[in-house]
Amino acid sequence: MTAEPAKIAKLDAEGLSLRSVSLWQITWRRLFKRKSAILGMVILGILILIAFTAPILAPYDPTLSMLDANPPQNLDRRSAPCIHLFGCPVDQPQHILGTDGNIRDEFSRLLYGARVSLWIGLSTVTFAIVIGTVLGALGGYFGGWIDNLIMRTMDVLLAFPSLLLAIAIVTVLGPGLTNALLAIGIVSIPAYARVVRASVLSVREMDYVSATRALGGNTFQILFRRILPNALTPLIVQGTLGIATAILDAAALSFLGLGAQPPMAEWGSMLGAERNQVFTAPHLVFYPGLAIMLTVLSFNLLGDGLRDALDPRLAHVS
Amino acid sequence: MKRQVSVLLTLVVLASLLLTACGGGAKPAVQTEGLKEEAFAPTKVEAPNCDYGGEIKSIEAVDELTVKITLCTPDPAFPSKIAFSSFGIQPREYLASTGGKGDLLEKPIGTGPYYVAQWERGNQLVFKKFDGYWGEKAKTGTLVFRWGTESAQRLLELQSGTVDGIDNVGPDDFKTVEGDSNLKLITRPALNIMYIGMNNAFAPFDNELVRQAFAQAIDRKRIVDNFYPAGSEVADYFTPCAIPNACAGEKWYDFNPEAAKALLEQAGYGADNPFPTIKLHYRDVVRGYLPDPNVVAQDIQAQLKENLGVTVEIDVMESGAFLDAADSGSLDGLHLLGWGADYPDMTNFVGYHFGAGSSKQFGAKYDDLVAAIENGAQRATDAERAPFYEETNNLIKQHVPMIPVAHGGSAVAYKASVEGAHASPLGNENFAVMSTGTDTFVWMQNAEPISLYCADETDGESLRACEQVTQSLLGYKTAGTEVEPVLAESYNASDDLMTWTFTLRKDVKFHNGFTLDAADVVATLALQWDAANPLHTGNTGAFSYWSGLFGPFLNAPAQ
Repeated sequence: MTAEPAKIAKLDAEGLSLRSVSLWQITWRRLFKRKSAILGMVILGILILIAFTAPILAPYDPTLSMLDANPPQNLDRRSAPCIHLFGCPVDQPQHILGTDGNIRDEFSRLLYGARVSLWIGLSTVTFAIVIGTVLGALGGYFGGWIDNLIMRTMDVLLAFPSLLLAIAIVTVLGPGLTNALLAIGIVSIPAYARVVRASVLSVREMDYVSATRALGGNTFQILFRRILPNALTPLIVQGTLGIATAILDAAALSFLGLGAQPPMAEWGSMLGAERNQVFTAPHLVFYPGLAIMLTVLSFNLLGDGLRDALDPRLAHVS
Repeated sequence: MKRQVSVLLTLVVLASLLLTACGGGAKPAVQTEGLKEEAFAPTKVEAPNCDYGGEIKSIEAVDELTVKITLCTPDPAFPSKIAFSSFGIQPREYLASTGGKGDLLEKPIGTGPYYVAQWERGNQLVFKKFDGYWGEKAKTGTLVFRWGTESAQRLLELQSGTVDGIDNVGPDDFKTVEGDSNLKLITRPALNIMYIGMNNAFAPFDNELVRQAFAQAIDRKRIVDNFYPAGSEVADYFTPCAIPNACAGEKWYDFNPEAAKALLEQAGYGADNPFPTIKLHYRDVVRGYLPDPNVVAQDIQAQLKENLGVTVEIDVMESGAFLDAADSGSLDGLHLLGWGADYPDMTNFVGYHFGAGSSKQFGAKYDDLVAAIENGAQRATDAERAPFYEETNNLIKQHVPMIPVAHGGSAVAYKASVEGAHASPLGNENFAVMSTGTDTFVWMQNAEPISLYCADETDGESLRACEQVTQSLLGYKTAGTEVEPVLAESYNASDDLMTWTFTLRKDVKFHNGFTLDAADVVATLALQWDAANPLHTGNTGAFSYWSGLFGPFLNAPAQ
């Protein structure tokens, strides 16, 4: 018996170990081998940290005009950044990224904006995935007229450019963050429905599904316990990349004044509000723009990494 | 042989060029095919009596060059009113042929120094010099209007030299323009008002106590100090003080959030009956009176939250839709709007907004206020009018149909090389007197004109375009507010200020070659006045300026 561990170690070294390793473990390992994915995760981690600790990190209330601050700080609006460490006179109040047009602390707004953007990304994609999965799974599993009805409806949705469709939906529902989320959620449904349908189609004829059927499993069981878990991987990739698109779309809607409503701190609307100051106060458009870019980049890098890590065809590459 | 052919060809080309040139000179600037000039015949449009409520009794073309207008009540401001650009005279034949709409909205035919050559919707509006102009001809052959809502964009175009003048320099850009030796900044006197309107047809603003509470809950000085450019001032009255009698009576409420809260409680709002969430409507359009709409709106939102605990939702609307909604009285909650003087008289401010002919913007009219305004308008001298305007201002303070916030200073900028550059306090810059040394002058304003039939427009961006093309009986001095004769060579009033006689200039030509006569004046004015006139259609049919200045329409449909 004492020889066993050594044997296993040898087999391990040859890559022939019989110990079971789950798909997730493999994925995780592969993911960590990709520098770009790690970078994405690091940025995302920082963003999530900022989102959770915004009230602690932010030096000011993001909606508070410095005119109301106690004691009032007699600042000019759109004042340049003032950091004491870098030589800004100590008698001036410190504003790391300056103040915006309504004399609010830009840095605090940027931090709180992370909350909104992550919330937008996660909630819209969750909404779209839930609905898209159900629709795609039903279509793929049952086929026939149900499939036709669902997928043709998805085709119609896909026929419109997504941002235009979102604008149209918000115009009907009325501007506001909730309606913008709903709109972005709706326009993202078809992508998920198609991905899930394709996976279901490829999985449903597999032997283990037939086996479940032969053992008397009901439709619900087959669909949601046998087929869907095995159709999940492309969905994860699509979802991660979808968050990036959703954040970008929401920022665009807010830029146009259709998304987050003032005084809420949202990167897109912060950018939109100060678009005329691009020359006179460039910091007010630069930082929200940078924040949007970093967030979208982090999700894209992570999504790309996940796609490669989850792709069985690339198993030997890693 | 070859040489002969080329000589012959040259001759043919020259001859054809010559022919075109001569032929072009003989043709009118604007073609109105199928229209024939009618011979003059005396006409008169008359109200049966003055019971219909308006100011005009009759408009008469006595002879070819004499127009007589009789009034129901004396009106010392009549010359200032009739000089306004919504009363620009057009040929009666053309008015009739368009049915009061259609072509009229895009191709006005006037007597001005420029005619409309081409309007590429969404892109630019091109005017050409009218060679048959009766006065001093335009200094530049082509005038182009362009527009851009973003002040940064306008400034960039001016700096790069693609435009020669821009309207409404952004408040933060004043210094940039002043520091640039290639540009010049001309400030425009703050003859305007920005106000927060309240429509008393909608709860909770149907309660006067609520309106008074809001009047005291907003720190107007903070708004003006922080969000308005130099040259702006806090508005203590609706009408800017440069206008006679504008600042008679009590000053506006002081900022007093405690008193405001107490008033809200008195109105029945408290812990058990919380104040509802209200909307703040506005259009994201820069005007002299509102240089930074979003920022000001958000500051008002923040102030009301802090001072009264009232939640305000911001509603940004499309410019045209916003104005229509305001005029038709369908804006609930608060709305941000403003007004620039068309002529320097109280009637243009209080009369237009709160008088008998005003729109439903503030809901039901306040009878005592209407009476005070009417009484004031009918007195001949400023001294006689003073007590009534004092009462007017006090009643506005009591009823609070709106909260006056600011008289906004604004500025226009030109290339330093532009001669004759000016800024008009009335917003009607006269481009015919400007020259750049080239044959084209490009002006960039905030927005595209809505239509070019200014009898039925109220937007300053449209009016400025009309003012280059059409002219009224009287006009305002370039870069000033004094009234001067334009199409009427002279005018006089009867002693009771009830009968006004205008003598027209001789041989004034319209852009289509027709000659101006008194019947054209009557046709132009009567179609606005008489709601039963088949041509009383226009763009929306509101003819807001007519009713704002002269009260209800003749034959107005019963409401």
